[in-house]
Amino acid sequence: MTTATKETTQSTITTSVKEKIEKVDRRDAKLALAHIYVAFIALFLGGIAGLLQVLVRSGSFDLPSFINYYQVLTVHGVLLGLVLTTFFIMGFQAAGVSRSCGTFTDKQRAIGWAGFWVSTVGLVAAAAMILTNEASVLYTFYAPLQAHWIYYLGLALVIVGSWLSSLAQVMRFNQWRKEHKGQTTPLLGFMVVVNNFLWFVATLGVAVEVLVQLIPWSLGLVERVDVLLSRTLFWYFGHALVYFWLLPAYMIWYVVIPKVIGGKIFSDALAKLSFMLFLILSVPVGLHHQFTEPGIDPLWKFIQTILTMFVVVPSLMTAFSLFATFELRGRELGGKGIFGWFKKLPWNDSRFLLPFIAMVAFIPGGATGIVNASYQLNELVHNTIWVTGHFHLTVATGVALTYIGAAFWLIPHLNGRKLTKRANSMANCVGILWAIGMAIMSGAMHVAGLLGAPRRSAYSTYGGSEQATEWISYQVAQAIGGSILFIAILIITALIIYVSFFAPKGEEEFPIGEVAAGSAPTPAILENFKVWGVIMIAVIIFAYTIPIFDIINNSPLGSVGYKLW
Amino acid sequence: MTKQKKSSDDNLKGTLFATFGVGLVIIIVWVYCFDLFIGRF
Ligand code: HEM
Ligand SMILES: [Cu+2]
Repeated sequence: MTTATKETTQSTITTSVKEKIEKVDRRDAKLALAHIYVAFIALFLGGIAGLLQVLVRSGSFDLPSFINYYQVLTVHGVLLGLVLTTFFIMGFQAAGVSRSCGTFTDKQRAIGWAGFWVSTVGLVAAAAMILTNEASVLYTFYAPLQAHWIYYLGLALVIVGSWLSSLAQVMRFNQWRKEHKGQTTPLLGFMVVVNNFLWFVATLGVAVEVLVQLIPWSLGLVERVDVLLSRTLFWYFGHALVYFWLLPAYMIWYVVIPKVIGGKIFSDALAKLSFMLFLILSVPVGLHHQFTEPGIDPLWKFIQTILTMFVVVPSLMTAFSLFATFELRGRELGGKGIFGWFKKLPWNDSRFLLPFIAMVAFIPGGATGIVNASYQLNELVHNTIWVTGHFHLTVATGVALTYIGAAFWLIPHLNGRKLTKRANSMANCVGILWAIGMAIMSGAMHVAGLLGAPRRSAYSTYGGSEQATEWISYQVAQAIGGSILFIAILIITALIIYVSFFAPKGEEEFPIGEVAAGSAPTPAILENFKVWGVIMIAVIIFAYTIPIFDIINNSPLGSVGYKLW
Repeated sequence: MTKQKKSSDDNLKGTLFATFGVGLVIIIVWVYCFDLFIGRF
């Protein structure tokens, strides 16, 4: 297609989308809300678990005898790492597709609801096993720890449900494409489809692990499991999982924030290119979680390290594009000098402030991530509480605080209420409390980790070891930071209840930015899922075939299951 | 508004420096950890 036609189609879309779809259809809104409510129940309960953990680890609090630390930690990881994220994402994406591509058909919506119920039934099943202490295997369910088979089946259902939800979203996007042949696709809808594609390819790994290995083994149909294979399949999925969490936050950063601050999306093409790069770089890098695992050829660990480092490219593209959106807008408002534009941003608007804090947290989070992924440096931090500090900056702030900030306007948009001035101020308080609490907790985790303190462990003096006494003051600091975070979670819960059921009726905007007038048109290749899909699969096959072949070929007898709790 | 004024306002210098800042954070954290690593192993 010629540049000229592309350009004109791009501008017609922006206007036609603006005219036609301002509000998410009521029926789609219900589907999105159902997911979002589950997500925030998970945040509240998971937050309680988090508070218990930091208190226990400070050394001055004992859990009642009927609960054990690792059960609490499983609740925390599953509810926050798996449930909050997956359910919020499926709700947000359903709303985002409906808003950007148009209302679902009845059939698509029915598939979406089927997805919601399958996931929810799975969630209830898994939760029942955790609560009855049949599954204290943490959210990564590493073999040879063995949970009740219902736990694995429940988690598998959560994933199958999310496939159905994503299918509905992809169908709606494809329908838009058919109806608008040759036009540039709506950015938000496009991003949702990239994320669903990523999710589908990634979850195949964990689906194989659960269905082929863990369920037969926990049912007693086979006695032993190939531990290394199961972990490799897990991390084939597990690293992409973190990008599945992150991309919806990026959708909000790229698409929503420009509108909120009154600016424009810096470039549609750049945003789409960075998403396609995340797509191909998310899966073939899982070995960076298994650096210390014997039985994997160091060469392949090294190759996947290099692939991991490429993710710096789309990450810095994203940082650049967001800074540019801010700077252009700040200058439009009269900001002078190199950083004068910074002061002009809408600091009192929680729709901006919360995701902004999230972005700031993501900078050190990304930096510590590069340390984790540096093959040799991983030795310094592996399985220490540093890692926990890292992902509380990335997922628990960069991602979660963006979701939380979005929920405060998205819920009222969906149920026809308003985010009031006071609620907005309370939301800003949440942002500030989160920033303070997380700086203290995560900072202390990083330092303690460098001093050797392990993650995934209850309080212990390790037989009065001198090294372990060095950690205690940092554990107390974590308890202080964690308590501040818990207060933030209480306010969040109150605010969510308020905007869901009590806020005044009205209209709250679902902000969707427009692309800056001067930016170049999007080359069609960037929207070609076949091309990028083929590249993605090719890189995965390259990165994983030989390591997995080796693992299976040299596999030992395998391990029986252990229940150590 | 004069042309001159526009060109001095309409630039992305801040963006460039901010992105360099992100790169700098990455480098500082990495070098610090690398130094610890070399000291210990
Ligand atoms: C009140 C707020 C929070 C507190 C006090 C808190 C505290 C903690 C602590 C102390 C640990 C490590 C315990 C250990 O390794 O022994 C932990 C682990 C974890 N946290 Fe949080 N956290 C909070 C919020 C969050 C949020 C919002 C998320 C995600 C969105 C999250 C995700 C996780 C995950 C995935 C783990 C790993 C669990 C595992 O190792 O199996 N946390 N948290
Ligand atoms: Cu990873």
